[in-house]
Amino acid sequence: MRLFTKIIRTGVVTEPLPAAAAEAVTLAREIDRRSTALFGRALAIRHVDAGSCNGCELEIAGLAGPVYDMERFGLHFVASPRHADMLLVTGPVTQNMAVPLRKTYEATPDPKLVVAVGDCARTCGVFAGSYAVAGPVDRIIPVDVYIDGCPPEPFEILQGILAAVGRLDGARSGGRRG
Amino acid sequence: MSPLAFAVMVGALAAGAVAAMVWPSPSGARRVSLAAAFVGCLAALALGGGVLLSGVTWAFRSEAFFQPLGGLSVRLDPLGAFFVIVVALTGAPASLYAIGYLRHLDGSIRGRTMHALFNVFLASMCLVPAADNVATFLFAWEVMALSSYLLVVSEPGQEGATAAGLWYAVMTHAGFLALLAAFLTLGQAGSLEFGAMRAGGATLPAAAQAIVFLLAVAGFGSKAGLVPLHVWLPRAHPAAPSHVSALMSAAMVKLGVYGLVRVLFDFMPPLSPWWGGTLLALGVVTALTGVLYSVAETHLKRVLAYSTVENLGLVFVALGFAVLMRGYGNGVLAAMGLVVALLHTLNHAVFKGLLFLAAGAVVHGARASSLEAFGGLIKRMPQTAVLCLVGVLALAAVPPLNGFTSEWLTFQLLIAGARYTAPTLAITLPAALAAVALVAGLAAVSAVRLFGITFLALPRTDGARNAHEAPGIMRAAMVLPAVACLVLGLFPTFALTQLTAVVAELGFPMGQFDAGLSLALPLIGSRLWPIGIAGLVAAASVAAAAASWIGRGRVVVGPAWNCGRIAQSPRAEYTAAAFAEPLKRVFTGFYRPTHEVSVEVHPVSRYFVRAISLRTDLVPWMEQAMYSPLVRAARLISTQVSRMHTGSIHLYLALLPAALVVLLLIARWI
Repeated sequence: MRLFTKIIRTGVVTEPLPAAAAEAVTLAREIDRRSTALFGRALAIRHVDAGSCNGCELEIAGLAGPVYDMERFGLHFVASPRHADMLLVTGPVTQNMAVPLRKTYEATPDPKLVVAVGDCARTCGVFAGSYAVAGPVDRIIPVDVYIDGCPPEPFEILQGILAAVGRLDGARSGGRRG
Repeated sequence: MSPLAFAVMVGALAAGAVAAMVWPSPSGARRVSLAAAFVGCLAALALGGGVLLSGVTWAFRSEAFFQPLGGLSVRLDPLGAFFVIVVALTGAPASLYAIGYLRHLDGSIRGRTMHALFNVFLASMCLVPAADNVATFLFAWEVMALSSYLLVVSEPGQEGATAAGLWYAVMTHAGFLALLAAFLTLGQAGSLEFGAMRAGGATLPAAAQAIVFLLAVAGFGSKAGLVPLHVWLPRAHPAAPSHVSALMSAAMVKLGVYGLVRVLFDFMPPLSPWWGGTLLALGVVTALTGVLYSVAETHLKRVLAYSTVENLGLVFVALGFAVLMRGYGNGVLAAMGLVVALLHTLNHAVFKGLLFLAAGAVVHGARASSLEAFGGLIKRMPQTAVLCLVGVLALAAVPPLNGFTSEWLTFQLLIAGARYTAPTLAITLPAALAAVALVAGLAAVSAVRLFGITFLALPRTDGARNAHEAPGIMRAAMVLPAVACLVLGLFPTFALTQLTAVVAELGFPMGQFDAGLSLALPLIGSRLWPIGIAGLVAAASVAAAAASWIGRGRVVVGPAWNCGRIAQSPRAEYTAAAFAEPLKRVFTGFYRPTHEVSVEVHPVSRYFVRAISLRTDLVPWMEQAMYSPLVRAARLISTQVSRMHTGSIHLYLALLPAALVVLLLIARWI
């Protein structure tokens, strides 16, 4: 009973959608349309944390959170690269994660896409030159799309995913990608 | 036909026993004596098959033996013939298997003794169902018990073999005493012939009936592993050599079922439904206990031994159902209960024999006996793995193998029983049904665990890494029961028709099972079409194979995904204990596992932990609660008695005349 009174008293506390939200919805719909055309189903994403500070993770989690709730458009995160169409890699690649990242890439079935999220994934950011860092993501595996930002907003991540899907779409006739 | 087959059987087994001891070359002794055992089993098969198919009872009497007790009397009716077939069906592959399995014992006197005892064991098991008076029966029963006892303790290096043998000897002799008392009560008319008991059973007073029922259930139940008398099974089976375990588990425990069927359905009049209910409840408890321990146990052969307990529990469920229905006067359902009990007896004999032989090959190949020490054996012993898979699938009651038919029939029985008799049964039988369904599900879990942990994934020890395939003759021996599993599963109607005749001969006619390839139960009306199931399975496999063949160009074979770990090690694998852990938690009230966590900390601060170790044990607490007072009492008495044994010959000489005087005095008074 206390639970119910609390629910009623508290009301809805979800933040209202930001101004760009309507655009985000169109973006997600577009991603879903393209991935359905490409794969015959929704897009499955495997997220790999290659050594990130977890700033990017917070933003990625935002994609699945109540504001964006991207699962409703068929964008979903899967638990194994075997199920994935796309790898979402964050952070500078540490020495310890270099081999697992490579293995994850190999385990992902073709056709596959790699999206490097955040500045660290591109340049190693503030971690550049550390003894623990093996290098940026593209040193280990080929990257299709970079998303800049420290961290990038969920909206930007969506744009990046759309760009990657579009890239695969365009390259479909002539093999996979460069 | 029958006298000839009997003579060949006895002759071959006797010749085998003698040849084992006197044949000049050791390897020749092994081959000749075990080949003789094989021939003896074939003759037993011919003998049983002849009696079963013709339906003609064969009898033979000789006054040359056991004279004061009524002479040697042998009578093979269809029921006995069926059990002779069960013994022969498991004895034949076991003897072939032993030719390869016991090669390492060549040249030792132990090897020769084992071959001789093996022949004696087989002969006694073939004689038990054929015995027709108390003397012959108990003689064969005792020879069977002693020879199997000696075979259990025949591997002195085996840990716990002596203790296992002691448990077995005590349990089997307590059972022997119960049987003796039961037969003496039955033979109150003065005759110890089975024929007289058959005629006089109906006139037995009610109290005597109850006594005979309880004694027979205790005596035969101790052989058949009825809870709480099953304690010897999980001890004796791991200690015995595998071909002996196969025989004991597949054939010897079944003779307990034989004895109970003989006494309850041949000698005794219909009993009060209470007794049937008791037997059924005991069966359910046995099945549940067996399957729960078989899921949790990690010693390969102990897993199988507990699974034997479980399957005998299912047989007792069907038997109890038959007694119950007979008590209610429903002859057709009683007959069906008996048929199902006998069918499951046969099916279990076939697949458990196969599994014990396969377990022997695995233990032999990987030089270990714990499930945790195996892994990846399918790559190293592929043929044994496939044969074992057949047995495991039958154990898990997967159609179209034989375990499925009898389990399906058990369910049908329990459903039908509630429909056709008293309203009390409409409440209790569904409860039994639910318990049996739980048993069936857990048995499947146990089967998956047994096969998966043993044969799949990576080898966990060096023994498993260097395992080798079993010798050809052992594999050939395992093919026989594997084929039998498949045939009995595909054509159950053949066995069922014969069993209907067996049961009709006992005085329980039932409607005919639909002849031909599909099986339809009379009265209940359920149908089973094993060939159809097999066809579906085959069609699905063909379709899957075709699909993978068509899509072969698009399939890329890569290494197994191990979450990106750098090296794949067996330490990441599921272990047998881990597989059982969820069940141990669910049934924690039953298992009552003991946990012992010890934390070793750094001397400077207790916040720096150096090592944490967990030790968890699964002690069968019911056994302890029941048997430890008995064991304590026995210890106490034997210490008291041993005080008399001072070793002084003078005392002994003094005791002799004292005893004589006491005896004379007693004789004078009487």
